[in-house]
Amino acid sequence: MIDRILYLLSEGIRGLLRTKITAIATIITIGITSSFVMISAQFGENLSQFVDIVRNQYELQIFFKEDVDETKALNIISKLNELEEINSSRLITKDEAAKIFENEFGENIFDILNYNPLPYGSVVEISPDKNNSIDVNLLSKKILNIDGVDEVRFQGKLISVIERYYRFFFIFLTITSSLILFATIILISNTIRLTIYARKDLIKVLKLAGATNNFIKVPFLLEGIFEGILGSIIASLISFSTFELVNYFLSNFSNYTLNWSFQLNLILFFTIIFFSWIGSIRAVKKFL
Amino acid sequence: MIHFKKVLFEFNNGSGIKDTSFNIESGEYVCIIGPTGAGKTTLLKLIYMDIFPQKGEVIVDKYNSKKIKNKEIANLRRNVGMVFQNPQLLNDRSVFENISIPLHIQGLGLKYIKNQVNEVLSKLGIEDKKNHFPNQCSGGEQQIISLARELVKNPIVILADEPTGNLDPASSLKVLRMLEEINNEGTAVLMATHNFTLVEDRGYQFMQIKEGEVTL
Repeated sequence: MIDRILYLLSEGIRGLLRTKITAIATIITIGITSSFVMISAQFGENLSQFVDIVRNQYELQIFFKEDVDETKALNIISKLNELEEINSSRLITKDEAAKIFENEFGENIFDILNYNPLPYGSVVEISPDKNNSIDVNLLSKKILNIDGVDEVRFQGKLISVIERYYRFFFIFLTITSSLILFATIILISNTIRLTIYARKDLIKVLKLAGATNNFIKVPFLLEGIFEGILGSIIASLISFSTFELVNYFLSNFSNYTLNWSFQLNLILFFTIIFFSWIGSIRAVKKFL
Repeated sequence: MIHFKKVLFEFNNGSGIKDTSFNIESGEYVCIIGPTGAGKTTLLKLIYMDIFPQKGEVIVDKYNSKKIKNKEIANLRRNVGMVFQNPQLLNDRSVFENISIPLHIQGLGLKYIKNQVNEVLSKLGIEDKKNHFPNQCSGGEQQIISLARELVKNPIVILADEPTGNLDPASSLKVLRMLEEINNEGTAVLMATHNFTLVEDRGYQFMQIKEGEVTL
């Protein structure tokens, strides 16, 4: 049994070597097209992490009306805490508001006006585990309905723009990746078909010598898988090098670096091999 | 060993085998004589079950054409050697590799394969061609290599379809002598040829086939 497996493996490798030019062309094509899938997926993963970071920094600044005193402010805080979308809310007293003003503008408001006109307020954090499903605009409207609340500020527009682009990118990636993987199936299938035609003599000899259909088919299936493996290795190298290069340029003007996920690459590596296998099965079923 | 029972196989143009019955036992040497297109190849194809009778049945060893499954056809062919006018060797493999193919199919170990192939090469006197490629050998040598590829299987019968068709008289004689030697060791040989003068004095049993009808 082991001898037979070794023989079939060696036949698969020899088959690849016998049709060098076709095999190399196929491997390079798979490598280049699949690298697009790998780079896009890695970039998408980075974008997703960036969106998560932005989402986790969702912070609402709430300004109370001028007539709200401390008792009423504490009452508003407890009402805010009752909302399920809110993780915590902190009261900003008039004195704290004055300090924030001083930090931001460099001047003490008492020195300018001789009194503190700044209202009570609150800083609210949204529950991190619910970020994905929270509609910040709706939450803002809910908060504005609480008696004593004057204004709600948040970075909603920026976040929704990023999320819109992320969703668009995700759809684009899904469609192009599907097309590329489908093309991989067709490409491998056609290469194996050519190989089958080129080895009609071998197939005839094997049939006459008593080979089973599976014995004849396995080397062709292996050839497709080998092409997928080599194509995937090229794609992984291109993807890794691209990220290294981008990080090198980024390092000149930013501390931010793109993360190249080995795990994600491994998943895509095996996905491409799987599709190559499907391609060879298609050819073998159709032409053998 | 080989039994034809009222076998009929007709092609669309009417040629083929008609209502044929005969038996060939192990160790026999039978020569099928007939002109081109008489049905010699069809008869051999029926034996290695490349085609199946439209009527009647062919029994080869324990395999019956009526009951045989696809997987069993592969097993049957592991016990039947086939030599054709064209040696059907693979030019991208050495002589050794060509001969070892049937043994790899049977899943045998490399050591056993090496011994078995070397034994057959030396038996047929072509051990010096072991590492050559088929296109580096003469036509006669190629036919002997193809015979070696079948012999290595230890077949119960060798079917030879015009094995001397492309050879000069000296090479033809060499191939015939080898088939005789193989037969002397107990393997049945069934050889189809249209060249009666080549085989008439060699003491074989003859089976004549004309327009699909077989006479012994």
